[in-house]
Amino acid sequence: MWRDAVLVAGKDLRIEARSRVALWQVLPFAMLALVLFAFALGPGPDALRRAAPGLFWLAVLFSTVLATQRSYAVESGEGTRDGLRLSGLDPAGIFLGKAAAVFVQLALLEVVLWVGVTLLFGVRVHTTWLAVVACLLATVGLASAGVVYGALSAGLRVRETLLPLLVLPVVAPVLLAGSRAWSAAMSGAVASGVGWLRILAPFAVVYLAVGVALYGPLQEAA
Amino acid sequence: MNPALRRGIGLAALASTAATVWLGLWVTPPSVQQGNLVRLVYLHPAIAWDALYVAFGLSAVCSLLYLWRRTRSLFWDRLAAASVEVGVVFNALTLVTGSIWGRPTWGVWWTWDARLTSTALLLVLFLGYLALRRVPAEPEVRARRCAVAALVAFVDVPIVHFSVNWWQTLHQNATVLNADLSPTIHGSMAWTLLLSFVALTLAFVWMVTVRYDIEVMRDQVGEEELEVSLAERWAEAQAAEPVMAGAGLPEGSAPPSPPTSGPAPLDPVLRPGEPAGSGR
Amino acid sequence: MSYVDAGYAIALSVLFAYSVGLVARRRRLARAVAVAAEDDAFASAATVAAVEGESGGDEPARGGGG
Repeated sequence: MWRDAVLVAGKDLRIEARSRVALWQVLPFAMLALVLFAFALGPGPDALRRAAPGLFWLAVLFSTVLATQRSYAVESGEGTRDGLRLSGLDPAGIFLGKAAAVFVQLALLEVVLWVGVTLLFGVRVHTTWLAVVACLLATVGLASAGVVYGALSAGLRVRETLLPLLVLPVVAPVLLAGSRAWSAAMSGAVASGVGWLRILAPFAVVYLAVGVALYGPLQEAA
Repeated sequence: MNPALRRGIGLAALASTAATVWLGLWVTPPSVQQGNLVRLVYLHPAIAWDALYVAFGLSAVCSLLYLWRRTRSLFWDRLAAASVEVGVVFNALTLVTGSIWGRPTWGVWWTWDARLTSTALLLVLFLGYLALRRVPAEPEVRARRCAVAALVAFVDVPIVHFSVNWWQTLHQNATVLNADLSPTIHGSMAWTLLLSFVALTLAFVWMVTVRYDIEVMRDQVGEEELEVSLAERWAEAQAAEPVMAGAGLPEGSAPPSPPTSGPAPLDPVLRPGEPAGSGR
Repeated sequence: MSYVDAGYAIALSVLFAYSVGLVARRRRLARAVAVAAEDDAFASAATVAAVEGESGGDEPARGGGG
């Protein structure tokens, strides 16, 4: 399973490295989201500063939807999905590989967004490790949930509109906990921040497990 | 473009930029209001002007010329694309130099004032154009798409300016930035400022010509690769048994992986505009 | 390092790096065009040979040059 995961992750990341869709579409979209948030809440710095943690995570969530859609779009060619199914790769491995690839893309995106939020909204993170851990845990959860729902909606023609509708409610706890954790990280309130990590971590674990367990049947169904 | 002319422009750009830097950093005096910070005036305004007016204005004009039947030619499309890419680089640099100038002047790296906001939005608008351009398509189809996108973006510019200005004036703290970035300029400073505009515009022109060549060659390589692949395929089909060739796994939108077995997948059709780096 | 120095350094290095990148890209593409043109000629020759290797006539003669 692990070897298959590495294989699939490598394939997805290599495709991204060559086509650079995430770089040219998802990343600008995330930056655009930040600008739009400023349009909605600015120009005064106060509202933006207060809302910064939530806005960061909103941008991450929307980007997750895009990244997940892209993860499945690369296999939308005729027969590609069947080929993957018939290839004999362990479905759990495929899931882990795809989730890992999405994780990497999201993690890099979050670094850029972090810089963006710091510069554009004028905030600073006080307790860096808290913010980093929150990001890592949340991203694992987002990637896993995203890939699971992506598989669910993969074959459907209404995938573009359906996937956000499916994924976003499910990852709402991540938005909630992540924003609170970041808010704590910005103000240095470590104790309450750690409390929110206790939501992010189980979410990540649960959705990893769900993906590993259910990806096989999901693949058959799609 | 005549290579000698291009080289001339490049050298002139290099020389004038070097002169600007020398004058700007050492020869010209510091200003009364801003001290040494004023030296950034020899970079930032010229970069901004080249990005916002020259680059994006040029791309709008080229897009119009492409769309108008009487002057339609891929030359305009490619020139527009080159102009936008260099423009985006200059745009990003405008924001960065402006931010660096703003930090010691205003105390913040960024603020959502009218000018900065408009510039930032313009950057995202034209990043979208570049993203659109990377989508594989026939040159004419892509040209038409991108020309429309450029014009739509460009038309938005005055609307953005107006609305963002209004947005700022309604906000009470609009006067934070009264310590404007535009200092009063005399004597040697004025000449250096003028030189900076010349230097950076020459650099811009040079970059656009090189980028234009790249755009032309990209399409050429795409076509060549397509023809080579077609010829190879044809030769294989002749040489092989008359069974179903092309049993390799189709790869959807993925670029060609190195052929592991069997014939290379016939997929340059999907990507006439891709750079040739991946080989065959 | 002062803000002015930083500003100049960043602006100039970005412009320089981008210029170098452009020249490198153009050089690489020029090579690719040359290679592809050669291959085109080679492949066409091979195709013509393949076509003529068959009993000519029936095959549509569109293999050459493309």
